Amino acid sequence: MKEFKYLSPESVEDAISLYGQHSETSKFVAGGTDVIVKLKEGWMEPDFLISLKKIKELSDLHKNEATKELSIGALVTHATLEKSLMIQNRYPIIYDAVSNIGSLQVRNVGTIGGNLINAVPSADGAVPMIALDGVALLHGPDGERSVEVKDLFIKPYVTVLKPGEILKKITIPPQEANTGSAYIKFGRRAAMELPLIGIGVLLTLDTDQKTCTKARIVLGVAAPTPMRAFEAEKSLVGQKINEEILVKAGQIAADESKVRDSVRGKAWHRKEMIKVHVRRMGLKCLDIIKKQS
Amino acid sequence: MDNIEVTPNQDRELSVVGKPIPKLDAAQKAMGRAEYIQDIKLPGMLYGKILYSKFANANIVKIDTSKAKALAGVHAVLTGEDVPKKMKMGFIKDNPPIKKGRVSSFRDEVAAVAAISLDIAKKALDLIEIEYEELEGIFDPEKAMEKDSPLVHEHLKSNVLKMPWNIHYGDVEKAEKESAFVVEDKFTTTWVTHCCMGTSGAIALFDAADNLTIYSNTQIPSLAQKDFLESLKAMGLENKRARVIKPIIGGGFGSKLDTYAYEHIAILLAHKCKKPVKIMFDRVEEFNATSTRQPTVIYIKQGCDKNGRLTFRDMRMVLDNGAHTSWGATTPSVMLMPISSLYKVENVKYNAKCVYTNNTYSQAMRGYGNPQATFAIESSMDILAEKAGMDRIEFRKINKNQSGDETPQGLKITSCGLEECIDAVKEELKFDNNSEKGVGTGIASLIHVGGGARIYGSDGCGAILKMDDYGKVDIFTGGTDMGQGLDNITAQIVAEELGLLAEDINVVHSDTDVCPWDVGAHASRSTFVAGNAALGAAKKVKKKIQEFASKILDVPAKDIKFKDRNVFFPGDPEKSMPIGKLLRKAHFSPNGTMLMAENFYDPDNRNMGKDLKGNMSMTYSFGAHGVKVKVDEETGKVEVLEYVAAHDVGRAINPLLLEGQVYGGVVMGLGYALTEEVVHQNGKNMNANFRDYKLFTAKDAVKIKAPVIETIDKDGPFGAKGIGEPGCVPTAPAVANAIYDAVGVRIKDLPITPEKVLAALKEKKGD
Ligand SMILES: Cc1cc2nc3c(=O)[nH]c(=O)nc-3n(C[C@H](O)[C@H](O)[C@H](O)COP(=O)(O)OP(=O)(O)OC[C@H]3O[C@@H](n4cnc5c(N)ncnc54)[C@H](O)[C@@H]3O)c2cc1C
Repeated sequence: MKEFKYLSPESVEDAISLYGQHSETSKFVAGGTDVIVKLKEGWMEPDFLISLKKIKELSDLHKNEATKELSIGALVTHATLEKSLMIQNRYPIIYDAVSNIGSLQVRNVGTIGGNLINAVPSADGAVPMIALDGVALLHGPDGERSVEVKDLFIKPYVTVLKPGEILKKITIPPQEANTGSAYIKFGRRAAMELPLIGIGVLLTLDTDQKTCTKARIVLGVAAPTPMRAFEAEKSLVGQKINEEILVKAGQIAADESKVRDSVRGKAWHRKEMIKVHVRRMGLKCLDIIKKQS
Repeated sequence: MDNIEVTPNQDRELSVVGKPIPKLDAAQKAMGRAEYIQDIKLPGMLYGKILYSKFANANIVKIDTSKAKALAGVHAVLTGEDVPKKMKMGFIKDNPPIKKGRVSSFRDEVAAVAAISLDIAKKALDLIEIEYEELEGIFDPEKAMEKDSPLVHEHLKSNVLKMPWNIHYGDVEKAEKESAFVVEDKFTTTWVTHCCMGTSGAIALFDAADNLTIYSNTQIPSLAQKDFLESLKAMGLENKRARVIKPIIGGGFGSKLDTYAYEHIAILLAHKCKKPVKIMFDRVEEFNATSTRQPTVIYIKQGCDKNGRLTFRDMRMVLDNGAHTSWGATTPSVMLMPISSLYKVENVKYNAKCVYTNNTYSQAMRGYGNPQATFAIESSMDILAEKAGMDRIEFRKINKNQSGDETPQGLKITSCGLEECIDAVKEELKFDNNSEKGVGTGIASLIHVGGGARIYGSDGCGAILKMDDYGKVDIFTGGTDMGQGLDNITAQIVAEELGLLAEDINVVHSDTDVCPWDVGAHASRSTFVAGNAALGAAKKVKKKIQEFASKILDVPAKDIKFKDRNVFFPGDPEKSMPIGKLLRKAHFSPNGTMLMAENFYDPDNRNMGKDLKGNMSMTYSFGAHGVKVKVDEETGKVEVLEYVAAHDVGRAINPLLLEGQVYGGVVMGLGYALTEEVVHQNGKNMNANFRDYKLFTAKDAVKIKAPVIETIDKDGPFGAKGIGEPGCVPTAPAVANAIYDAVGVRIKDLPITPEKVLAALKEKKGD
């Protein structure tokens, strides 16, 4: 492993400016669960590792009681999200996703921001952030800008972030009444497992608790980046949701996906899993909605 | 050897044997104080690193090491040219530690360096320039058997190894004709690997007189010593010494039953550099360059009469040998055991062919062929029971092995608790009330060697025992602890015999300069063979103590008893003395004496004859596993709900360690059944990491019940038999049988992945 200098600025501005001084050879690091692996393997050889851990505002997790917006700092760990009662109760799709990442040790240090910016198609954390219409707040040498999480990814390991840009937080807009959400990582093992396919579903129903007013179907490992199954979502909106309709949506989502054969799993099986789990997660959403009222 | 009686008094009350004493080195390991080879650093030590082939099959056209040699900090660079001609590995010596001219698998070594740091060694590897001419590879053993197949080793004229695996006991053709029911199937198993938490490594060093010391993660110090001496001889170093020291290792499971290229390369580098050289595998190397369990293609046909008695078993196998030959090629010798002797069957045919391919080569792995053979046999038993319309448990009981049987292979069954094991499983797991959809149960049994296994001229183990002035014992055993707990077993046996506590016994092992000879930690033999060796030594010392105490206490020697660190005469409470005090009296008196003894125990088992018959073990271990699974019929995913693993172990010397062996075996077996697979594509390992090699995690492990059946074997130390391997032998067929019971699909190819189950379910439904 190549030697590097470890810097730990205490403000976003300082971090950006440090990056600016050595822009070619710097790398940001949060929990390091992706970065350290790459350093050890020699896939990444920075001279400067700029840790974001000491920047307090990045670890903030709170819900604005006035706007009902949820704000998740980029440095919030998976374990913090997993243990938050607010997340467990109000954002089950986040809980489903982060509580099964790696192992306890990985969740204790790995962050939601690192998970997004690492930008692998299998990132468990990306699916709920997209399903919840999350917006990423970026801060770089040219100031701040916002990007919807769904538009964050370009291809594996590449995001729209410009050199020196930091992800500060993800904002989740207020959730409407009668909303349920759920995620499942389909894999072979109970822990230390990247998903063979990740399926997240969010449904909002009208006051009749039957008609769908909003649907999100988000898939991990189904394409080079986490993707929304727009056609499948459309097939649900305006419909009275039942099992049959969810089965159809599952089929549409499977058809929309761009799954491939790989050493880890076959495309036909992945499609099948999308089909099955869109239905199962959809039913779980209905269940959650029912329990809320 | 003096004529000492090994068989213990079976009725006597035991105070140390049979007790769940935690592993003696547990605290040391838990606190990070145990010294593994990773921790060892010798003065002046260099770091070695190996360069592997870029192709599965290729000619080496040119190799240029000049840049690597010129790199500052590099002490030596070796290629195949630097390896003495006669330096070869494997029991048929077909594998030089660095290849010359031709590579025939991705793991073939093409060069090695020694440098002052690991980083420099790695850099030096990058500077070695090799020009290859790629050749067509052959990766399917059945295709490699075809007449016009390319040859892995041209000079051999055929890809099929010359091995004797061809037997016919009784008359299979006749028996088949007379059978009421016959079933025939094909099963396949793939590569899996040991996944030792401690990766492989060695440190070699020479003294000024060219004597070798090698620290190595080996399971076979004595046999490794022989291999290393042969290498020294090939290097022109005749009549030298080779001292093998095995530090604490993080698991063996058969992976360290042969010597490997890294050890021989460390020797070459150390000799060339005149400095200690350490080669440690990283995890990727551990996956790529250690040997797997051998993949098999198995054809099985068996039949029974109308009463459900087995009439014949006819099996044919093709084993993927890989590009070189290690113990994997001899696993048919152990497969023969369940094939000929699991359940009573008189007419047996077995033919196995080991075939060279350009894949990785195989080795021993827990069970030594038995898991593959038992997967086919026990799956087929269920298929046959169904065809004959019989209850699968009854069917097994009708055909059960029993004490006093001699099997067609000539195995003499002495103690046998198979039926008790089956009953225990039946009792623990409710077989009949699986009303829940997708839930099913399965059972499978096992036989394994439990009293040594005579593969070499000797199956023996030596032990030297000395007592100090304080009543403490040092025992130097040939046996090797590799985490399985032989040190506990040895300590408990010796303590029991001498009336001491386990903590009074210091077990010294795994150093050939200090310890006597032993075949190695394999074939579930250590408790039985090394245990008997230790017991015999303890008995000798005991006799001497009795004789001495007889004089001091003035009672007959035979009446002297041992307990709680004292010798005593049961009839008179006055006549008692701490053992330490007695030993001091023996020592510090005119014509004084120290108490020591040596013992070499070689079991009275037999090598296989030319006809492949012979009672290879003194006794056999039996077991039955039962499992309840739930199959998700939409995803194909199998969840293990309950697991029962009942074993006839003779006697549990230490129930805690015994359960540990069973739990570990079962979890390893479940991985074999459901998730584990080294994926090879055209000879290349595609998942050389723990992310993609699906070893069970703690969260995947299930609760296992492990009923212990004690049959008190007449030849075992305190009645014990081996239990190292059995835990992973019948796991896969038990799971496969449970899946069939649950959803009616029979998966004949390991591992049983969700994809395979779902595909089979779809086929069954006709979509
Ligand atoms: C054993 C193991 C198991 C794992 N299991 C899973 C799993 O089940 N599911 C899963 O999705 N992932 C898994 N991962 C991957 C990893 O843990 C997660 O992606 C984690 O969330 C990464 O967060 P981190 O804080 O450790 O990121 P880091 O490694 O610190 O950073 C990752 C990348 O993001 C960049 N970065 C980090 N924070 C910021 C920021 N605020 N602004 C700009 N750039 C930033 C870094 O420069 C780097 O490129 C696993 C990893 C390991 C080692």
